[in-house]
Amino acid sequence: MSQPTIKEVLFNPVFANNPIGLQILGICSALAVTSNLKTALVMSIALTLVTGFSNLFISMIRSQIPSSIRMIVQMVIIASLVIVVDQVLKAYAYSLSKQLSVFVGLIITNCIVMGRAEAFAMQNPPLLSFFDGIGNGLGYSAMLIVLGVIRELFGAGKLFGYTIIPVINDGGWYLPNGLLLLPPSAFFLIGLIIWALRSWKKEQVEKPSFTMAPQVSNKEAF
Amino acid sequence: MGIRAFLDKIEHNFEKGGKYEKWYALYEAIDTFFYRPGSVTRTTAHVRDGIDLKRMMITVWLCTFPAMFFGMWNVGYQANLIFAQSPELLAAQEGWRFALTGMLAGFDPNSLWDNFVQGATYFLPIYAVTFIVGGFWEVLFASIRKHEVNEGFFVTSVLFALIVPPSIPLWQVALGISFGVVIGKEVFGGTGKNFLNPALAGRAFLFFAYPAQISGDAVWTAVDGYAGATALSLGAQGGIEAITAQGLTWSDAFFGFMHGSIGETSTLAILLGGGVLLLTKIASWRIVAGVMIGMIALSTLFNALGSDTNPLFAMPWYWHLVTGGFAFAMMFMATDPVSASMTNTGKWVFGILIGLMVVLIRVVNPAFPEGMMLAILFANLCAPLIDHFVVQANIKRRLARNV
Amino acid sequence: MSNQKESTARTLTVALLVCLVCSVFVAGAAVALRPTQEANRQLDKQRSILSIAGLGEAGMSARQVRDLYAQRITARVVDLETGTFTDELDPTSFDPLAAAKDPQLSKALPGQQDIASIKRRERYTTVYLVESEGELQTLVLPVRGYGLWSTLYGFIAVEGDLNTVAGFGFYQHGETPGLGGEVDNPKWKSLWLGKSLFDENGNLAVQIVKGNVDAQSPKAMHQVDGLAGATLTSNGVNNLLHFWLGENGFGSFIAKLRAGEA
Repeated sequence: MSQPTIKEVLFNPVFANNPIGLQILGICSALAVTSNLKTALVMSIALTLVTGFSNLFISMIRSQIPSSIRMIVQMVIIASLVIVVDQVLKAYAYSLSKQLSVFVGLIITNCIVMGRAEAFAMQNPPLLSFFDGIGNGLGYSAMLIVLGVIRELFGAGKLFGYTIIPVINDGGWYLPNGLLLLPPSAFFLIGLIIWALRSWKKEQVEKPSFTMAPQVSNKEAF
Repeated sequence: MGIRAFLDKIEHNFEKGGKYEKWYALYEAIDTFFYRPGSVTRTTAHVRDGIDLKRMMITVWLCTFPAMFFGMWNVGYQANLIFAQSPELLAAQEGWRFALTGMLAGFDPNSLWDNFVQGATYFLPIYAVTFIVGGFWEVLFASIRKHEVNEGFFVTSVLFALIVPPSIPLWQVALGISFGVVIGKEVFGGTGKNFLNPALAGRAFLFFAYPAQISGDAVWTAVDGYAGATALSLGAQGGIEAITAQGLTWSDAFFGFMHGSIGETSTLAILLGGGVLLLTKIASWRIVAGVMIGMIALSTLFNALGSDTNPLFAMPWYWHLVTGGFAFAMMFMATDPVSASMTNTGKWVFGILIGLMVVLIRVVNPAFPEGMMLAILFANLCAPLIDHFVVQANIKRRLARNV
Repeated sequence: MSNQKESTARTLTVALLVCLVCSVFVAGAAVALRPTQEANRQLDKQRSILSIAGLGEAGMSARQVRDLYAQRITARVVDLETGTFTDELDPTSFDPLAAAKDPQLSKALPGQQDIASIKRRERYTTVYLVESEGELQTLVLPVRGYGLWSTLYGFIAVEGDLNTVAGFGFYQHGETPGLGGEVDNPKWKSLWLGKSLFDENGNLAVQIVKGNVDAQSPKAMHQVDGLAGATLTSNGVNNLLHFWLGENGFGSFIAKLRAGEA
């Protein structure tokens, strides 16, 4: 296997190999934090940084990690990074960290972080791993930001808290779609985005797990 | 020229290579609406039966007619009753519906014609929007996927139009049916592959997206500026006493002289249509019986338990039957052959699950006065699971017999 | 080499080292950032108290908030049993919500009295006073109670006559967005301004009504429109106000304050 270039690892995960769109990872937080663009953006940055740096550190010590405890070592490193990010948010973006509540802490359990550490950082040099982490974080971010824009714009008529479409309750004409403010709406949206993505990039369509046998004609049957 | 001859004449335009090849699905739909499909089974699997999916769906469609016509009359009747009581509201009405009714008829609650016209100005636009928008999606998907338009849509559209409140804005109708058809059905591969009832999925979408237009007190009558609570929300506040205090008797509720979603009010009209469905075996009697058993069992249990704070505990089963969308959804939605359980035992379980859930949601959940929609959607989700266990149990039983 | 990498001693060493480095890193960050976080928490609370009391503007900087708060707001602890101020507890460090969970500092509410569904009520709580030249201008009281899905936490501010509402709002809740969540709608919050909590006989009269308030009615000065489509959240808010302004809440405190005995 030839080594991928930095450009590849950085940009492939955005469309071609999107962690949410293709691998269906990290859905939980994508549902929970995207009801407005601001929290979606902060969550994206937090996850991108954690994935990047955890990949970097794990890759740096990858030849030292005994394989019997490698999962736990990865976990410890990721958890430490997440706690630090959580602390920083509490210190410098208090109201946002209140809105994000447990979901920053739950980055620890986000499959994307763990998955990249195990699948990529354990085999590749630090710099490349770092960019791979950032790239996957960007893929996650792209999806979150799209969700955040749709949900906040059509659910509340706003973006970043600023009114874009005046809603009826405030004297405008737009009746906001309340469903979009509820987490399940992100499920539908992610589904639709995946649909669009796979119509565009046909190679992402999975092979059917079985095919139906063709019907037998009369002649063959007898 | 007969229709057959005309259709045959234009057919070549729609066949492969023809001018309107893309529109074949639409042509096929119109052709088979009038005539029997020309295709004949050529393979081994072969059942001879006069009834196919197409005829089945048309039958269901016809069976909704009693509820539909009664609903139209009742929408007008309820509105005109209010006008008769408070003429100042009549003076405050505006809009094209009002103008049209004024032109064609009057506002006398005792006149069959007046009521009917008034109701029709509400129901027909809703149905037309449902049909056009939903039909657009159907034809679009059928054209892209190269299969024929399915008559299941006839049923979906009429059911959807009958379970919304009369005052619903038409753009919401369009959005709701789009969601129902696309997300509820087409993304899973179209008719026969959906696991949710598309009409209910569309209504659920509206219910959560625009709750102010589909729940509460103000939406159930075709009168602007009038709020009248439904029997169920009255019941949630004060039990049966509160309902009867409003002058609504059980027989009123049974015949349908109350406000509510267009086609859901008259239990009698629904049972008429539903009876035909049961007789023709299109609707499964097992599911209907299951729903009734589940509902009666749990409501009787609640009656026996009693509660100081929740008056709905005391609501007897025969009131549950005639209020809200219970009867309509039981006859037309729960029995949807695609999204219900397939096995006979499974159908019992499926029905009972709906009956239990609906009473549970109505009585115990504080947020939703009506539970039929959510109960059926919930049971739809469980249906494959129920079937799985029924099949597994059957396999085990037969294995045990043959050791 | 792989054998050497997998040996027990080596495994333990690596584990130990990783843990050591990480814990130093995490602990360092936590300790270094704690003062800023603490300041943020305070600031957040001060900001919401100021906004309920109708002081300052929305976009104030941290410094402005702190200054304005220090200048105008006095926090004092109230003994809800006796209805008087108490100086036994320091209002800056006392946490009423934590106290509500402590059996020593709170009492369980029997079902009949617990209309706000909060289960336990603390004995002491903190109130915030805005005074000008020794006269009470605004009194900010913490309130909380159960709506449809969640407990709503908020403040109600009353003017110096201890009757007129000067502000009402929640800083934390989990009601349905678009329905019960409209308790955050500035338009709805502004409906409260100027309403009277008590009638002329001193009985609690404030009430959330279903639909719209009839402006002609003599009770209109006590009534506020319910939230459209959110009957249960409206009921919850109504109940929590009745609880906290009633005899199990701040009732005796308000009475004593009015009589000048608090």
